[in-house]
Amino acid sequence: MSTLSNTSRRNFLRLAGATAAGSVIANHSTEIASAFERASEGNMDVVWLQGQACTGCTISTLQAQYPTLEEALQQFRLDVTFHPTIMPEAGPAAIDAMSDEPDILIVEGSVPVDIPEAATVGRNPDGSAKAVVDWVMELAPEAELVVAVGNCASFGGWPAAQNKKRLYGLGDNVTGAKGLQFEKRSAGGVLGPDFTSGADLPVVNLGGCPPNPDYVLLTLATVLNGHIPELDRYHRPKPFYEPLVHDNCPLRGYFDRGEFADKPGGEGCLIKQGCAGPYTHCDDMSRLWNDGTSVCLNVGSPCIGCMEPGFWDRFSPFREDIESAAILGNVSATHAGAAGVVAAAAGIGAHVARKAMGYGKFDDGGEPPENEGPPGNQGPSDTQDPPEKPESNAD
Amino acid sequence: MPEITIDPTTRIEGHHGTTLQVEDGVVQEAKSEMKMFRGAEIITLGRPPTDAAQITGMVCGVCFLCHRLCSSKAAEDAAMNAGVFDGPPRNAVLLRDAAEGIFYLWNHAVHLFALVGPDYSDAVAGTGFDRLDPLEGDGYMGAIENQRKLMKALAEFGGRAPHPVGYVPGGLAIHPDASTIASVKSRVMEVSNWLGPTEAVPDVIENVQAGELDPELGEGLHDIVSILVAAAELGAADIGEGPNRYYSNGIFEDPETGELFLPRGVYRDGSIELMTKEEVVEGITEDTEYSWYTDDSGGAPTEAKPPEPDLDKDEAYSWGKAPRFDGESMEVGPLARLVIKDADPFDLRETLGGGADESNTLNRLIARAQEALLVRDQVLEWLDAIDPAEPFMADDWTDDFTGSGVGLFEPSRGALSHYMDVENGQIERYQIITPTLWNIGPRDGEGQPSILEEAIVGDEVDNVDNPLNILRTIRSMDPCLACAVHVQSPDGEFETEIEPARPGISEGGCDV
Repeated sequence: MSTLSNTSRRNFLRLAGATAAGSVIANHSTEIASAFERASEGNMDVVWLQGQACTGCTISTLQAQYPTLEEALQQFRLDVTFHPTIMPEAGPAAIDAMSDEPDILIVEGSVPVDIPEAATVGRNPDGSAKAVVDWVMELAPEAELVVAVGNCASFGGWPAAQNKKRLYGLGDNVTGAKGLQFEKRSAGGVLGPDFTSGADLPVVNLGGCPPNPDYVLLTLATVLNGHIPELDRYHRPKPFYEPLVHDNCPLRGYFDRGEFADKPGGEGCLIKQGCAGPYTHCDDMSRLWNDGTSVCLNVGSPCIGCMEPGFWDRFSPFREDIESAAILGNVSATHAGAAGVVAAAAGIGAHVARKAMGYGKFDDGGEPPENEGPPGNQGPSDTQDPPEKPESNAD
Repeated sequence: MPEITIDPTTRIEGHHGTTLQVEDGVVQEAKSEMKMFRGAEIITLGRPPTDAAQITGMVCGVCFLCHRLCSSKAAEDAAMNAGVFDGPPRNAVLLRDAAEGIFYLWNHAVHLFALVGPDYSDAVAGTGFDRLDPLEGDGYMGAIENQRKLMKALAEFGGRAPHPVGYVPGGLAIHPDASTIASVKSRVMEVSNWLGPTEAVPDVIENVQAGELDPELGEGLHDIVSILVAAAELGAADIGEGPNRYYSNGIFEDPETGELFLPRGVYRDGSIELMTKEEVVEGITEDTEYSWYTDDSGGAPTEAKPPEPDLDKDEAYSWGKAPRFDGESMEVGPLARLVIKDADPFDLRETLGGGADESNTLNRLIARAQEALLVRDQVLEWLDAIDPAEPFMADDWTDDFTGSGVGLFEPSRGALSHYMDVENGQIERYQIITPTLWNIGPRDGEGQPSILEEAIVGDEVDNVDNPLNILRTIRSMDPCLACAVHVQSPDGEFETEIEPARPGISEGGCDV
């Protein structure tokens, strides 16, 4: 039934490698449409589950645009046996429609494990509400491919953000929200570090709050075409998640000249407004959003780091200069900050000083091992990870 | 008495189920069950006021803009009350309203075409229209194409959509120039042209009833009217009858006069009562009798802490609380706004829906369509009133203050309020009351059902395997649960032992 195979990555790289604004999807619309069409002819079953979700990833996917999006969507919808937001059926009929051996399992939203009742769909035979974690545990081992769409499903995301006040004696992670194979930057998640799907792949993570719609459709089209995406250490397809936001920032000239804005939208580089660009990997700066319309930094807003594991707490308070918040891990924040200030004050290219210290690798503690990749069970250890942003006012 | 369970609802946002007690094919009692929680209010505590807009903005990926703006208003209100901020600039007020107006168009179109539309597609086809086939119809394709244009318009100001980042407390991060504003206008006008001229509504009704399409009069208008006519023919005016009590926070404020295009107040006992912000805030309380929280977790949202879970309540059945106005349930949403505005364009509710002020499943759809037509021209006016030479971000915005504030807002789905207490630049207390809680929350301590629970009772269930009319009523309220159940958290004894990474953990994992 599956069209997946361990063949070359050429097609995926060709699809995803060119990142001229807004043109990638259009250039490859025929291939994408045909991928979905072939999948449809082959009775490819897709199940799209929502855990602790906001449906933003679904809405984002609907914003993908290329000439035959609607055609692809038709095919897509016909073969998505379950998607709570778009499917015609409801109630038990919706559950009956769901394939119990999906070729592709897509999950949007985090999965609560401390309180499984925090996200339920349908009923158990005894009439109790059935937890999403149970659906995931049942369906994932049957699937050829498991895709986590969005930061929540990939890394725990928003619901895993800190309970800073420790209210009511609850834990740091209020509901025990996890990603499918990660909890923040720690490998594990709901399915565990050793999980691989039928295609011998770990969960493919499409981080982002939400992810760019191109990431979703191109990844699906690639695997439907029988190609395996090359993944980074967080199991994200490299072509999308390798570029550094900071390297392609429209405000980069300000940074190089050491000119910093004193508020969002102000004149200058936004790094002192908490911009996470030097620590965030995605190609949105060149790909842009909403069919090439814009991107966060184009509207004067600092990058919030939504593509990264550990988003939210790793980059918040969002307006606070991340370097002041000691996020640099194995690089001395004081040293880097001082060097940055000196360079900035001199106006001679602060990024040179930072690059010498390895910005862009801060979250990794260095380059990932050469052999890292699918099946990718060498998840990063906690000891490698830099600290979360310290609480400014611990109580 | 036979019990019918609908779970999941589908074609809404979020996890929801309904349990119906049915006798002789008629619903005797309904329980509306909310089935997800994450802990937004708890997560918001201990952070700076500006971050609340970022966090709560991402509470929902369908109505992302409204939480961002409502939280921003709460933070700005708190800063103004603390005497450290004079308010957002005029340009920000106008642009936020224009953006929310664009969002109304987007949300109403997506709801009518993609979420509610399929409930009526057979009947639509019966009128001679196959444009609304939910898989292949030109109408659906056109709607998908046009919703993207509106999202692009929002992305021009916000950087991306959904989850734009440009709208911030104090104003806007972006300082759009004239060409950006012109670009947004042209996108809105394209969609407006697809929709068709407002004054064509009577002719379009005639066309639809005759099974004809005149593209000059607007494809979108023909499609939307098709849904309304089909719903009318299926008897949607006779189902889902609410208590005819409505509440709106008001929205779209003229920066010069302070006047609201859609007014603030309530409608009860057959008359409209316009209110001040303070009067509205004073009227609101929340009840937790049938929610999994301690009884004292309710009360006034200006004082209550985030609710404390209590799972030993046998009668509880929802993670939602029960908000009430002066102790009464209130319907919120487009119908509420238009009743309180006393507007019924083309007498559509009067003639098709059984009365302009009547709460029923059809009138909720009609009001959504009417509101889209009313707002779209205003959006262009608000955009025109922006002066790119003037500031968009206040110079005096600061996070560092001690004070309390309330943000009242009207997302497309209805009344939304955020409540924030700040001490030395750190959030000490946060509350959110969402439109979906008002419409489809649980009953309260007086046994008073929510709007949905009341609306379903008395309706017939002709097919227990597919209680379509019940689903039509639920969806008519455009429920959106991601943000409705945002506050909850369990206590220790509620935890279930889980060993991740091992299949077969379902036993005993879910017994609520």
